[in-house]
Amino acid sequence: MLKLTKNELNKMLLSKKPYLILALLIIFIALFAYGEKYSYDKGIERLEVISEDLSFNWENLAKQQIKDMERRLTSPYMSLEGKKAVAIEIEQLKYFLDNGINPITPSSAKFAVQFVEQGIVLLIPLLIIILAADLVSGEFSGRTIKVLMTRAVPRWQILLSKLLALLMMTTLVILLTAVLSVVISGLFFGRWGFDEPVITGFVMSNGSLSSNQVVQVSQLAYMLLIYSLAWFVAVIIGCISLMVSVLVKSTPAAIGIIMSALIGGQFLQFFLADWEIVKYFFVSNLNLTKYLTGSYQFIDGMSFNFSFGVLSLWGIGTLVISFIIFSRKDILV
Amino acid sequence: MADIILAVNNVKKKIKKREIIKGISLEIKKGEVLGFLGPNGAGKSTTLRMVVGLSKPTSGNITISGFDIQKDYVKAMAQVGCMIEGPDMYNYMSGYKNLEMLNAMGNEVSTKAIERVVELVGLEHRIHDKVRVYSMGMKQRLGLAAALLHQPKLLILDEPTNGLDPQGIYEFRGIIKQLAQEEGISVLISSHLISEVQLMCDKVSIINQGELIRSATVDSLLTSKEVMWTTNDVHRAYDLIRGRISEASLVRNRILAPLNQEALPEINRMLFNAGIEIEQVAVKEKTLEALFLELTENQHIT
Repeated sequence: MLKLTKNELNKMLLSKKPYLILALLIIFIALFAYGEKYSYDKGIERLEVISEDLSFNWENLAKQQIKDMERRLTSPYMSLEGKKAVAIEIEQLKYFLDNGINPITPSSAKFAVQFVEQGIVLLIPLLIIILAADLVSGEFSGRTIKVLMTRAVPRWQILLSKLLALLMMTTLVILLTAVLSVVISGLFFGRWGFDEPVITGFVMSNGSLSSNQVVQVSQLAYMLLIYSLAWFVAVIIGCISLMVSVLVKSTPAAIGIIMSALIGGQFLQFFLADWEIVKYFFVSNLNLTKYLTGSYQFIDGMSFNFSFGVLSLWGIGTLVISFIIFSRKDILV
Repeated sequence: MADIILAVNNVKKKIKKREIIKGISLEIKKGEVLGFLGPNGAGKSTTLRMVVGLSKPTSGNITISGFDIQKDYVKAMAQVGCMIEGPDMYNYMSGYKNLEMLNAMGNEVSTKAIERVVELVGLEHRIHDKVRVYSMGMKQRLGLAAALLHQPKLLILDEPTNGLDPQGIYEFRGIIKQLAQEEGISVLISSHLISEVQLMCDKVSIINQGELIRSATVDSLLTSKEVMWTTNDVHRAYDLIRGRISEASLVRNRILAPLNQEALPEINRMLFNAGIEIEQVAVKEKTLEALFLELTENQHIT
């Protein structure tokens, strides 16, 4: 099994896909870090112009943001859901202010966390799909599956070695994301910020924000937590992609199907929030990190435990289907 | 019993309600080379895929050296090396890396053994180039090397000479004969090149529309000879000969009849005594091709 897994890792590395992932990560992280620095600098400039105060104070900035958001709440064009979301953000900021915690100056650790919070639904899955979609369907397209399957090795071992290689590469990708986002944003911001305090544990109950169970952790600890969640989501996406790769014998079709599911799933949550069944779709549950920040949920009845459970079931279910079909199907290429 | 390497027992295959393979049985002994002949769509590839475990038979079983391919898959496949419908390897790796990778899947053989098999197929000078730049012939050789890597007892080759030039085909034939005679490897070859099958194989099985229609040794299939006469009085000669041999036929002023060489002088004397001048007598060996076309004539791909 070790040798088989080594073979599969070799194939992945030689196929240049990891380099594509590396390039994508660097480009996205650099772009977002630059963007954040730019908008932060612009924000300070504007504030300095307005208040004619050359040395700025984060508290003033925070108060300014609260004022902006309260103004948005009075706009007639905002939906009820939107208003609820903004109201929650105001509550959060007020909490930070009251406790003397600076929520907005960018730092590496904060950026690393934000990058994952934004990317966990689409960007990180995309990176994993690049690796996983090709795993089995690539062997069919290249017809090398014949060579693999006529060895003195049972079929399930072959699929297992691919799965193990995928898991290893997924872990590597998540680590790379962490390291790159910290290092690249560090170049832009000049602050690490690992020991800044973070408040987490906000819970949505009955449509309002409850701060009863909040706890303060260091930014580093929070980062570890967020990245573990990202790793879990990446693994589940990997399993689902593996199944699609086994079912569909063409890599472009596999990528197309999974990407449509990811993008379509976002729309589903937004437009069909009333359908019970939408919350059982794996895409609706990918955003595990939002439970930690207390953002507004579109669909009622979803909690962290619920999403974690649904994703786990999807992961196990797709693996079972993959192994059964892979072991039984006739190879006709 | 102990030296039956491959036994296919009444194997049938149904795909979506159509029976593609209607009950094929065959046997290969140690060191035998069996040719699998058939027109396009006859079921050769389907059968070979079942032998190597790429497809599952609907009924019947297949054993390799006594190991059932369904129940003892690993032990059965350890005895087999194959190349099915093309030598498809990983293009982005070198030939050598491909072989190393395959080596790691199963009982590993030494580096020396890998080098030996590379030399056998004649790829020593190009083995470290990426497969992407190989010609068709080189890919075929690599495929053969991959099949021979684990020193199998049974070699299964589906159209192995596709894309080889005459020199390559000649060398390939030599390799197969050497493997069979010196190392006792059994070989099952499916091919369209009837002349090649005739030269390489000991036994031939002719398959058509999913059934075996003839199975015999190459020698026995070729002992039937045909004689051709050119005479100065075609019609009279034809009547005379047809009186003796009912299967005689008249083709473009020549008389053809299946005949043993021992009986030939008697027929010639008969013609001479009737005053007919014999201009030419030729003995043609009935080729496998003629037999093949005859057995599969008027068959459409169903």
